[in-house]
Amino acid sequence: MSLLKASNITVSQDGTPILEPVSLRLEAGEPLVILGETGSGKSLLAQAIMGTLPRDLAARGQVALGDHLLDAARPVGFRALWGRQIAVLPQEPWLSLDPLMRVQSQVTEAHRLVNGKPVAEARTQASADLDRLGLTGAGHRYPHELSGGMAQRVAIAAARAGGARIVIADEPTKGLDAARRDDVADLLLAELARGGGLLVITHDLALARRIGGQMIVLRKGQVVEEGPTAAVMAAPSQAYTRELIAADPENWKPRTKQAAGSAVLTATGLAAGRGGTRLFSDVSFDLSEGEILGVTGPSGCGKSTLGGVVLGLIDAADGVVNRADGLKATAFQKLYQDPVAAFPRHRTLARTLDDVARRHGQALGRIEELLPRLGLSPALLSRRPDAVSGGELQRLALLRLLLVRPSLIFADEPTSRLDPITQKQVIDLLCETARSEGCAIMLVSHDPALVSRTADKMLSLGTTAAKVDVTAPRVVGALR
Amino acid sequence: MTATTDLPLRRPSVLRARGVGTTLVLALLALALLGGLIVPGDPYAQSLTKALAGPEATAPLGYDHLGRSVFHRLIHALRLSPLIALAAVAMAGATGLILGTLAAARGGWVERALVILTDALLALPGLLLVLIVLAMVPGTALGFWVGLTLVLWIEFFRLARAATRETLASPAVQASQLLGFGPVYIFRTHIWPEIAPMMLTAAAFGTATAIMSIAALGFVHTGMRAPTPELGLMMVELLPYWREAPLALLSPVIATFALLLGLTLLAGSRET
Repeated sequence: MSLLKASNITVSQDGTPILEPVSLRLEAGEPLVILGETGSGKSLLAQAIMGTLPRDLAARGQVALGDHLLDAARPVGFRALWGRQIAVLPQEPWLSLDPLMRVQSQVTEAHRLVNGKPVAEARTQASADLDRLGLTGAGHRYPHELSGGMAQRVAIAAARAGGARIVIADEPTKGLDAARRDDVADLLLAELARGGGLLVITHDLALARRIGGQMIVLRKGQVVEEGPTAAVMAAPSQAYTRELIAADPENWKPRTKQAAGSAVLTATGLAAGRGGTRLFSDVSFDLSEGEILGVTGPSGCGKSTLGGVVLGLIDAADGVVNRADGLKATAFQKLYQDPVAAFPRHRTLARTLDDVARRHGQALGRIEELLPRLGLSPALLSRRPDAVSGGELQRLALLRLLLVRPSLIFADEPTSRLDPITQKQVIDLLCETARSEGCAIMLVSHDPALVSRTADKMLSLGTTAAKVDVTAPRVVGALR
Repeated sequence: MTATTDLPLRRPSVLRARGVGTTLVLALLALALLGGLIVPGDPYAQSLTKALAGPEATAPLGYDHLGRSVFHRLIHALRLSPLIALAAVAMAGATGLILGTLAAARGGWVERALVILTDALLALPGLLLVLIVLAMVPGTALGFWVGLTLVLWIEFFRLARAATRETLASPAVQASQLLGFGPVYIFRTHIWPEIAPMMLTAAAFGTATAIMSIAALGFVHTGMRAPTPELGLMMVELLPYWREAPLALLSPVIATFALLLGLTLLAGSRET
């Protein structure tokens, strides 16, 4: 018998359907992945199944949970099952733990209040849970004293304390780099191995691949494709799924290397720090026209600081950056991670771009000429930065840089906030820019697959001072 | 889900508050500027036979203890206090804006010196500072202007400095700098649109504070000198006759209250 069976779940807002009927089954021991871009309705589906939809959204359909049969239209009925039957692993768990409460008390509280155990027993049980998850001795800490991975494990311990067999994880890898992402996947699978069901909602193909099991692909509130994850990923039957999977950096074709032009920049023995700690030292590289240098490393290793040093915004603690002779002062430009934050927010894009074109003596016709090359519609220009989608705005940011005719673009995680398909478009355009404009690019990304398929050469930062943390394999081993 | 492009809708109550504020301020302004044209008269002319007499056609609000038309004294007072207040706020706003942005942009000892200065001034009670200046500067109106400017610029300075610091640290400003734009462009494009709404709110509150200070000092006989018609002075002069001429006393009280309420509603209803 299935652990959870949901049939014909729909969600609508003021009578407009925003999620078409979806049915799913969750079997013990077999994970289910719901894959979709932002706005595909994947989180709505999960909320409808749990009965946690926002008040202005109405759900319909039936949910069978063990021997309970529930009506999705009446979310009140679900309350009694939260924590006991269904546990939710929240997005970014370090934000959902109580910052003023020690870790062990948070888990104890769940045992005591959800299961109604006496205090002493709850406390013993909580420390046993923490030991099992490799958090021995961490029980007296506060959430801010934990690493991201440890916080995630505490959240799992607290969520599972009520004895729930079904775990729903909504975007569990949001904001994590590749190594952490695999840790989380292993942790979830380990919980699954203890018997129970696992529902993972994600846009991350790598996570989906690692979780395996069954998969449902959602797009704009409709089911595009479903089947075993491995089969769907290997041979997608629908055009959209094919596009989505092709957009995964793992599946990109490596870029053909270009013949390098004359040198733009030479950096020797660079070192820099922040707040008294040395982030990197002895970094040397050189860059030529049309060349792409990939910069990778875990978060906080100084990738952006390196950019600041190269762009002349931050003084290096040691070493020199030599610009090639004859470059203008504005030859080095930066593409930002969050394009909305990089535009003046009170002006229309047209005004901002006109100002840049005028400042650099470019004919205004150049903007019109660049728009179609970047796949942008002129109608966007009359809007303000916050009224344009992230992918479009990132392309407009690239357009703004091209008006300067730069020799080097420092692209700081330019696609980390974009959907896979949009990410591929933007990266392709960057490569195209390097080729056609003869511009060197430093591409920063936390995704090694993306960098290795795009860059001509790689620079890997900061593998030394990793935070002391229990690694995933050890946790998984301890659970078996 | 979908990107929401429309601005957050303003609540009707906020709009109504602003409407009431604007109406009050405009009505008092119209009274001050046009009142003398509709009913001509002299605020200083005495006729002791009419002392504390009730309203009549040439003096719609009756007469004070010296037989002067309260209406004409009131419209005169309603021109004087707001004029001094606006002049002080304009001066204080300009000073605060320039020094605040300068402190945020330059940092270092310039910023530290200015911050210490404002903190020191902030430790003095505002009215005391105005009183000290009044004692030193010849001419009461000039004294009020200088004294109130000294009190009010601190608020503008602190607002401008805080907002500018935050804006200057944003990626948008960094991008503009990399693109080769100078400080003037960055001020116009990034800083001013952020500060302007805050400055307007602070200006409305500042005007109210200034009018209040002038009236308060007038009330304790340390501000404007008699026979100048001034709101606080009128109140204290008419206070002993509250039983005989209640309307004469209530007129400056209601006018002051309406003016302050109008300015506060105007300021408080702004979304910043």
